[in-house]
Amino acid sequence: MPLMGTKNYRHLNKRLNRVDSADKITGRALYAADVKVPGMIFGGSLRCKYAYAIIVEIDTSKAKAIPGVYAVLTAKDVPKTQSWADYPYLSDGTVRFVGETVAIVAAETTDLVEDALKAIEVEYEELDGVYTIEGALEKNAVQIREKGVGLKDGLPDKDKKGNIFYDSYYPIRKGDIEKGFSEADFILEREYKTPFVEHSYIEREACVVMKDPDAGIVTAYASAQNPFFTRRYLADAIQAPFNKCRVVQKMLGGSFGGKEELVGLMVGRAALLVMATDRPVKMVATREESFMESAKRHPFNFKYKAGLTKDGKIIAWEGTQIANAGAYNNQTQYLNCRAAIHSAGVYNIPNIKTDTYGVFTNNIHSGAMRGYSSPQIIFAQEQFLNEIAKEMGIDEIDLRRKNILKQGDLTATSQKLTAETITLEMIDHMVNTTEYYRKKEEYSNTHKSKEKRKGIALVSCYRGSGYGAETPDAGGSLVTAIEDGTILINTGLAENGQGLKTAYTQIAAEGIGCTTDIINFVGVDTHSIPDSGMTVASRGTVMGAQSMRKASIDLGTLLRETAAMLLKTDPDKVDIDNNEFYIIGSDGKNKVSLADVCNTRLWTGKAMAVYNWSEPGDLGIDHHTGQGDAFPTYSYGVVVAEVEVDMETGFVDVLKVSSGHDVGTCVNPDTVEGQIYGGIAMGQGFGVTEEVPVNKGQLESKNFDSYIFPTSIDVPEMEAVIFECDDSAGTYGAKSLGEPATEAVGAAIAAAVANATGVPVRELPCNLERTLLGKSLSKGGMIK
Amino acid sequence: MIRFDYKRPDSIEECLALLDMYREKARLFAGGTDLMVEFRAEDKKLKDVELVLDISKLTELKIIKLDQGSISIGSGATFSQIIENPVLEKYAPFFIEACKTVGSPQIRNTGTVGGNIGTASPASDSVPPLVAMDSKLVLASSKGTRNILLSDFIEGAGRTLIQPDEVIKSIQFKKLKPEAGFSFVKLGRRKTLAIARMNVAVYVESDKDGVVTDVRIVPGSATPVSKRIFEAENMLLGKIPSYDLHEAIGKKVSEKMIGITGKRWSTPYKEPVIASLVKRALNEATGVKENE
Repeated sequence: MPLMGTKNYRHLNKRLNRVDSADKITGRALYAADVKVPGMIFGGSLRCKYAYAIIVEIDTSKAKAIPGVYAVLTAKDVPKTQSWADYPYLSDGTVRFVGETVAIVAAETTDLVEDALKAIEVEYEELDGVYTIEGALEKNAVQIREKGVGLKDGLPDKDKKGNIFYDSYYPIRKGDIEKGFSEADFILEREYKTPFVEHSYIEREACVVMKDPDAGIVTAYASAQNPFFTRRYLADAIQAPFNKCRVVQKMLGGSFGGKEELVGLMVGRAALLVMATDRPVKMVATREESFMESAKRHPFNFKYKAGLTKDGKIIAWEGTQIANAGAYNNQTQYLNCRAAIHSAGVYNIPNIKTDTYGVFTNNIHSGAMRGYSSPQIIFAQEQFLNEIAKEMGIDEIDLRRKNILKQGDLTATSQKLTAETITLEMIDHMVNTTEYYRKKEEYSNTHKSKEKRKGIALVSCYRGSGYGAETPDAGGSLVTAIEDGTILINTGLAENGQGLKTAYTQIAAEGIGCTTDIINFVGVDTHSIPDSGMTVASRGTVMGAQSMRKASIDLGTLLRETAAMLLKTDPDKVDIDNNEFYIIGSDGKNKVSLADVCNTRLWTGKAMAVYNWSEPGDLGIDHHTGQGDAFPTYSYGVVVAEVEVDMETGFVDVLKVSSGHDVGTCVNPDTVEGQIYGGIAMGQGFGVTEEVPVNKGQLESKNFDSYIFPTSIDVPEMEAVIFECDDSAGTYGAKSLGEPATEAVGAAIAAAVANATGVPVRELPCNLERTLLGKSLSKGGMIK
Repeated sequence: MIRFDYKRPDSIEECLALLDMYREKARLFAGGTDLMVEFRAEDKKLKDVELVLDISKLTELKIIKLDQGSISIGSGATFSQIIENPVLEKYAPFFIEACKTVGSPQIRNTGTVGGNIGTASPASDSVPPLVAMDSKLVLASSKGTRNILLSDFIEGAGRTLIQPDEVIKSIQFKKLKPEAGFSFVKLGRRKTLAIARMNVAVYVESDKDGVVTDVRIVPGSATPVSKRIFEAENMLLGKIPSYDLHEAIGKKVSEKMIGITGKRWSTPYKEPVIASLVKRALNEATGVKENE
């Protein structure tokens, strides 16, 4: 069994405390909102409360007259209103979602900011908008974005007008779909839906922006998930050269994909206020602002149709996957690439036809949230598979075994899986260790109870590791030795709470041969290192760290050369242990310390640092057919959930989640388990309670009193199962985990609920009302 | 956020004098767990408030005592203080169960029972058991004190009969029989830190033959004001508890709820669920098991 622990590394495959945990636990860690600089004032945004409206007039005179208010800016006062990424810094005159910023202010205190915002008078003319996926696609729907396109013969067409975000359209065409269905003995068609979901990181978005001659023009300290993306907003907002705009990432209190758009916009707005006032400006989002303007997980509508032979082989798969992109968007075109590639699940299906696209609506924008479409897709696909199994009267595990991708198979994009693929072993292991069939039998005895019923379900999935064909997966790292024998490591990728600093420290130690405790990870400062792309797509370790691996191996080689010179031998006769170089086989008598080696190099003028750039592999899919090699490798997951459903109240108690993941090489079991546990909690929220209810663009949850995610008391018993395999694609054989850890959990819980109640789940979350009544209720009598 | 002045009186007398002076322009801060949220949300009802009177440090409002069969709880007693009180544990265990479900440890450490009553939320956890015990309130003003039944005091959602110069001083009720049956059942959207979607407090006293001699049934979050549902109670009085009877009583409570609130957006959910919760609470209080 390919469980963890058979790989031979010095520093990988070993438990290591997170290098930043002491700072976080003791409160020493400094977050962006902790930054204070002399002369600092505060900034704030006036947000529109309409989902779609024209600004008739803005009167800022009363606000400007308040003593202590230094700037009140509207569209006419700034170089550009729309950011490089579509989202507006300031409304261009039409507001397209609730919370769109129409004016920004800077004042001496936060109270004065509030006073100023209240003193701004805005006259709006409200418009009828579109709010849902269905509404956006209606024949006579209002077109809310100029670039929106319409449907022709049911597919997005550039020459038609409408609300479809054309760049986000990805078809998959594999085999012959008509032939596939014509040969099928059994055909089933179903529809599924998922809601807006909020990341709910504890730290809200924050920044301090200041003029900084040392940096060039400005420096921003920000809670930025992707500091180089934030720099793009900073330079863009004030129209300054990138090399004079510096972004420093502060410790992040959670991100999960969310600290991108709003942080960038806030940094841009603060920079505009800095330029207008010549004072450092701090902006911190309230929780309500974070709800209103931070990206949400895309709601999706799914329609799937599958054709199977009578022995349960899926031979045809057709699907439509439509995402609600919100009013402004720069994410759905990337997200849907992934959504399309994974649109037929982790299954070996010869004939596939799927269409994936996003629509513009008058809502908060959807963006990246841990999974980047996969939690929604896996929810729908895995419920569908269980519905197929039930309708056909075959065992749901057998159905998966018969169809799951194995080594040598072709994916939906016809990529051949050449590396070791352990899907069947994983299913076997999870079925056995969870005692799936025994429990299924035992739980079925509760299925007549009027009060509480138990259910169990298994789901399987896979995920392309890293960016893949979405965008070039490149990155650079700088590894520097210092005269005292310590090491600095620096990269363009960021610690976002996922444990990147710790993983990179281990990877650098593995390459150099030194211990982890003499390595210090430099946080991201955009003036110190080239852009390595975003810290997203679970790419940090698997692909992003390739350059760290190579740079540290190269630095280790240089250090060994100097050690050999000092030890008067050949470099290949030298090894390192506990930061001392020794001659192999010399009983440890002939040694020289790493500090002496580094010191010698400094004073003999030898290179002290290695910078390595890792270029992406040759990947790409054809845009018309979606065919091609999509990812360097894939992470596989098998998750089993057990629930108890209160049939009289609809309360879903998640009893246990056993989450098995193929991580290729487990860099650090502690952080891997941490990801899996956190992923289970987040997946539980997605499955059971979490939804940002939106009523005609108005968010009905804007804070944690009504937005319900699981607490430590709610989380189930958790079993993390770590699988390893041999796959050379990722750094030291590692695969993605950050997103896999959560992507199948909601699906597994929903399937377990369906097992308990006997009623399929076709819409998330499985909250009280939907579980009891089969539909959600909302205020004002509107039944969704 | 609404801005306000802040004073922390050193005694009830000082507090009452200030209250008499400021009247509608003053608001009492007991634990602040609701009040501060309302200030931040700029709740309309606070728009004229100028002064916040912090009574959270008045120890004379925090006393819990048993006196000749009657229990008195100072309005400033926090939920954490109540949960750990041995007198209440013995004579009003379902009240303690209810208080344990309030918010989180942080909220229970600062939130007070008097504040919970004064806020008059239909979703209050402490109010249903207090109403079930026919609790009365002692209200104090600079002119003196008066007593009022808790179920009369709360007039509607967020509305009470408190006068602008009054403070809730204490809550009083007769001690219950420790051997009687108690139950507090709460349904939230998660297991903790959850506002009650619905809850119910039940008290059942029986004679040696198992015949019910006293019963109180008080649902929460079902109606704007938590009250005893006498028609439902009467169904159990003089009877021997049974699953079917409890089921019927649950349906009666549900029927009464709709009688009071009419059909609302939430009725399709609340109608069956309150019936189930009442049934479960009665089963738990009387030791009746689920009918398989």
